[in-house]
Amino acid sequence: MASIEALTLDVREELRKGGEPLPLILGAVEVLKPGQSLRLLTTFEPLPLYAVLARKGFAHSARHLGEGDWEVLFTPGAANPQAKADQPKSATAGTSTAGWPAPSARLDNRGLQPPEPLVRILDALEHLGPGEVLEAINERDPVFLYPELEARGAAIHTDKQADGVHLLIRHAK
Amino acid sequence: MISNRLSRWTLLFFAVALLNFLVAQGVLISGLTWPAQSLSAPVTLIAVHLLTIGWLLLLMLGALFQFIPVITSRPLPSQTLTLVTLIAIELGLIGMVCGFLALNFANALLAHCLPVGGALVIVGVLLACYDIGVPLLKARPMSLPARLVLTGLAFLLLTVTLGLLLALALSVSGFAVYVAPLLAQGVAYHALAGLGGWFTLTAMGVSYKLLPMFTLAPEERGRAGEAVLQLGATGFALAVAAGLIRAWHPAPLLSILSWLGDALVALAIGIYLWDVVRIFRSRKRAVIELHNKAAVGAFIMLGGTTLLAIVLMSLGVFAAHVGVFVFLVLFGWLSGLGLTQLYKIVPFLTWLGRFGQQLGRGPVPRVQDLVDEAHSYPWFVIYFIAVLLAALAGFAGSAFVFQAGVGLSALATIGLAFEYWRAWRAYYPRLRPSKPPVPPFKPGEGIIHGQH
Repeated sequence: MASIEALTLDVREELRKGGEPLPLILGAVEVLKPGQSLRLLTTFEPLPLYAVLARKGFAHSARHLGEGDWEVLFTPGAANPQAKADQPKSATAGTSTAGWPAPSARLDNRGLQPPEPLVRILDALEHLGPGEVLEAINERDPVFLYPELEARGAAIHTDKQADGVHLLIRHAK
Repeated sequence: MISNRLSRWTLLFFAVALLNFLVAQGVLISGLTWPAQSLSAPVTLIAVHLLTIGWLLLLMLGALFQFIPVITSRPLPSQTLTLVTLIAIELGLIGMVCGFLALNFANALLAHCLPVGGALVIVGVLLACYDIGVPLLKARPMSLPARLVLTGLAFLLLTVTLGLLLALALSVSGFAVYVAPLLAQGVAYHALAGLGGWFTLTAMGVSYKLLPMFTLAPEERGRAGEAVLQLGATGFALAVAAGLIRAWHPAPLLSILSWLGDALVALAIGIYLWDVVRIFRSRKRAVIELHNKAAVGAFIMLGGTTLLAIVLMSLGVFAAHVGVFVFLVLFGWLSGLGLTQLYKIVPFLTWLGRFGQQLGRGPVPRVQDLVDEAHSYPWFVIYFIAVLLAALAGFAGSAFVFQAGVGLSALATIGLAFEYWRAWRAYYPRLRPSKPPVPPFKPGEGIIHGQH
């Protein structure tokens, strides 16, 4: 495994231009050979990305290079992605919330018809600062929310309980 | 994580399906077929297959391609295959129509279009079953809608297989001798498996998800939902199996089993309708949107048609009126439910596709801003009245009134298609400024202070 050189992806230029690096990163992950690591160079510590790639079975180690630049090494095989993927949505799903701050806003979306919960969550998310967490309770598993959050680089933790679906959403940026 | 959030070709499925529906209505309006002609006349077969394959099958598959990822939280294996499905089924249908025409003109060469077209339809159906079946089979726990749709798919496969055998019997002279009993009595069970086992059970499954979702009622249907699935599946299976075996080996026991199957189906439909009433009653949302309000018309049609069948069977005159019965199932229940649910599905998909990226980043219209309910309501009323009128004319044997009724239903279909098109083009939000999403998130609302 160590014999394969890590693939380096530098998204700093893209970030300085105000671009969206997530598609580039996910694209790079797709072309990785089995056992190959991804070396990512960014302008901030990409906290939400850890969760996204952990689900694909990558562990991370980050290093501050100075002047706001970060180097993060994503190593495959650290987790078992298949086991996670097969977990039923009825249990908790999504990201581990370890290390997340306490929620800074809370929304009760029960009693709202789809897609109103989706609109409210995305609306509220825009009012949050980077890395802040939004807590929401929905009537149902918000299936259309996941891709929207993915596109915005936000991470989500879903927990189905008797009184509703409890969501913890962490803002990106 | 669902990357393929929106089914790519679903709206194209709907457009092609609606076109086929209008062509089928055109065939009925022309007076070339039922009730002026028998149910097995080639032109009747053309109209029926335009309705079942061209309209209802494509409508249902298009909806399922969007719906299955929602109920399973898993993406479809392939979006491209859904387009191949559409092309195969539509081409196959055109082949079948040519084949039926050939039966009319006794053209042996053209007659081969029937099994070839049928085979193409089967290819499309198999691809669709793969795309829909894989996420369904992998999802755990399997929800009630998922199990109803899976059961429906099994009946769909049975229906198309029986259909292909019938097509071969009709067009390949050497083959007919092997399946002569099927040719004589099999059509009824081909229709029962398709209209009942496939369309009705699947429509029940889809409605069990959509109804609670948009009325905010409990999704768990408990014993009632289980009863609908088990009685419905057993009933249709028993009725079809006993009927088919009876075609080869007539035995009194099989008649009893077939009757028992019919009874179980009627029971399942009764429980389902009672459960639908329960959903409406236990809803948390006071306002019922038009797609669900109008769907009540389809539910009444389902109940009324079932009662009608019971009455006709107990009077021993079901066979004489089977045409009206099939018409009511096709136009009243299945097409009625389809047209009403399109009124929600099209705006919802359009809204997600057009405005999803902008959410939270500026003003966007609400889903309901994409439609004008007051504008569309009369079309639904006209549609159901037209169907009722045509069915009554069918009973009375008045071909002219029947044609006029279907003509009126076609007019309503065009009116509704126009409204779907307006939703898709975001016509109404452009026409007038839209209200903010209700209730909006206000900065400061729900913010927890002093926690970190």
